[in-house]
Amino acid sequence: MSVRESASASVRRAATLASTTVRPTTERERERRRIAVLCLPFFALALVAGFVPLAMLARISLVEDPIWIEGWSLGAWETLATTAEYRWVAWNTLWFVGLATGVSVALGVAVAHVLEKYDLPGERLVVAAVSFPIALPGIIVAYLIIVLLGRQGLVTNAVAVATGGAPLDLATATAITGLFLGYVYSLLPRATMVLRGTYAEVNTQAEEAARTLGASRWQTFYHVTLPEVRPGIVAAAILTFRSGLAIFGTVLILQSHRVVTLQIHHETSVGSYNPDVAAAIGIVYVVFIVAFTFVGLRFVDDDAVEI
Amino acid sequence: MPGPTELNEDGGDAGSTLESGRGDPRPDGGTTEGAADPWSRSGSALSTVVGRPVLVAVVSVVVAFLTVPVLVTFVSSFARSASGVLPQGFVTFDHWLKVLGFGERGVRTNAIPGLAFSLAIATGGMVLNVVVGVPVAYALARYDFYARNWVNTFAILPLVPGLILGIAFVQTYPEHGRSALGLIAGYCLLKSPYMVLTVQSSFQSMDLVRLEESARSLGASWPRTFLTIIVPHAKRGIVAGCIITWTLAAAEFNFTYMVASGSPDPFAIFLYRNISNATHLQSAAAVSVYFAIVVAAILGLQLLGNRGFSTAQR
Repeated sequence: MSVRESASASVRRAATLASTTVRPTTERERERRRIAVLCLPFFALALVAGFVPLAMLARISLVEDPIWIEGWSLGAWETLATTAEYRWVAWNTLWFVGLATGVSVALGVAVAHVLEKYDLPGERLVVAAVSFPIALPGIIVAYLIIVLLGRQGLVTNAVAVATGGAPLDLATATAITGLFLGYVYSLLPRATMVLRGTYAEVNTQAEEAARTLGASRWQTFYHVTLPEVRPGIVAAAILTFRSGLAIFGTVLILQSHRVVTLQIHHETSVGSYNPDVAAAIGIVYVVFIVAFTFVGLRFVDDDAVEI
Repeated sequence: MPGPTELNEDGGDAGSTLESGRGDPRPDGGTTEGAADPWSRSGSALSTVVGRPVLVAVVSVVVAFLTVPVLVTFVSSFARSASGVLPQGFVTFDHWLKVLGFGERGVRTNAIPGLAFSLAIATGGMVLNVVVGVPVAYALARYDFYARNWVNTFAILPLVPGLILGIAFVQTYPEHGRSALGLIAGYCLLKSPYMVLTVQSSFQSMDLVRLEESARSLGASWPRTFLTIIVPHAKRGIVAGCIITWTLAAAEFNFTYMVASGSPDPFAIFLYRNISNATHLQSAAAVSVYFAIVVAAILGLQLLGNRGFSTAQR
């Protein structure tokens, strides 16, 4: 009884809110209408292009007949839960992206530290060099790795000349190290960008005090700087990990490690057409990314969030 | 910030090198003595001696790793052969002509229609992004409302990966998903965070309340205030957002690969074809086309006083 009363009360309140938003009388209601009008285009697009397709994806993961999208069945989810191969792919993705994230964030800290603390010649060039790759899509990153480590690659040839080996044996672009470097190539600039923003806000007086009191550089960094940039490091790790999970072009060209995006691609290819399984993987994947991002960012200062 | 600290550190460096040169009996950063008295004798600590050279070396390697392949790609796109250790036979424009569809042995048909199609789609996504992104950025910068944080998170975090969005698109809209309209809507949604963040930071540097109130007190209606006062004031941020979203949409691969129907080829698919089955040097030329676009975009952003593709809120 009371539940029903409170439910009807909240429905009535929502109805009042909607009607005053549509036909406002006070200034506050007019402001609310303005906010609604301003947010409307974005949410219309998000609904049509984002939420409806995702709902459709959830529906497809539950179909009985994946060709004609008819009927209901839990078959795809059962396949996903019982096949060991999918667990293996998930584990592959997690450790690989996690390792790439760790390396990228560690290198990002070094780059941000040098840019902020040292007076280097050509600092603007370094900034340009580390922010340029943000605009490069995954397929181009894959090509750049081939330029470095492919059969005609720069590093391959250099090593071949130095050791006298054959370039064909030394090429590692399509081995897992090549793919790993490709991931780092994509993720490092993103990590650096977040960390540079954090480093710009570090209180340098505390560092100076520590140095004056006789702390070595490492001690100053470990005890004074690191605690100050820790939120930035966590934010960088979260956002880098999230973008690392979404990398597809690089792995499609280099094809050396079975990660989840490549698996989704396999499930939708002509040879093994399983749209229901692909949809189920996709739903798990999106839910994981969203949950990970939200839970992670809960522990981080809101201001540190960047793309 | 690199003021007095820098001087101090340099002084410490010089002292420590002298000391170790003289053959200090205690090795640098020695464990036993360092643990007993950790906050003294920093002049000879290991990190003070080698910290800076090591970090500079690390950063040099990182910068080389990020830039050398780009430069080599660009340079070798003008080479005649790549059979040796380094590309040879400069300068030839054969690969560029072939990629752009002007080559005499143009096996593939002219690439210009595909490029033009893709650039038109990216422009469409960019225009839609202005329509969608500027209002929501203004609402987030100007007003404090219920669920503001949630709207903010949705607007600035690209939560759905392009690959998944592409698959979902094709399944949901089987007829229109593969058309130009579908590509435009997808590009717009995937790249909208960049527009929202760029415009938002431009709004945050303005005194919005006073601007709005003075326009209102002079008799302008609210829609007129928004369209003729607020939006023109944020022009630079909007143009910067346009450049960023356009450049990123032109090469969005994951979504395009799943959605595009192949006639005409969008630019990202053109890149994919050229990378996965073409000669090394022809791929280099195709990739260099995109480098040229990005460099043009970065120069445009610099003219506007924007820091580049960084969309930091400050």
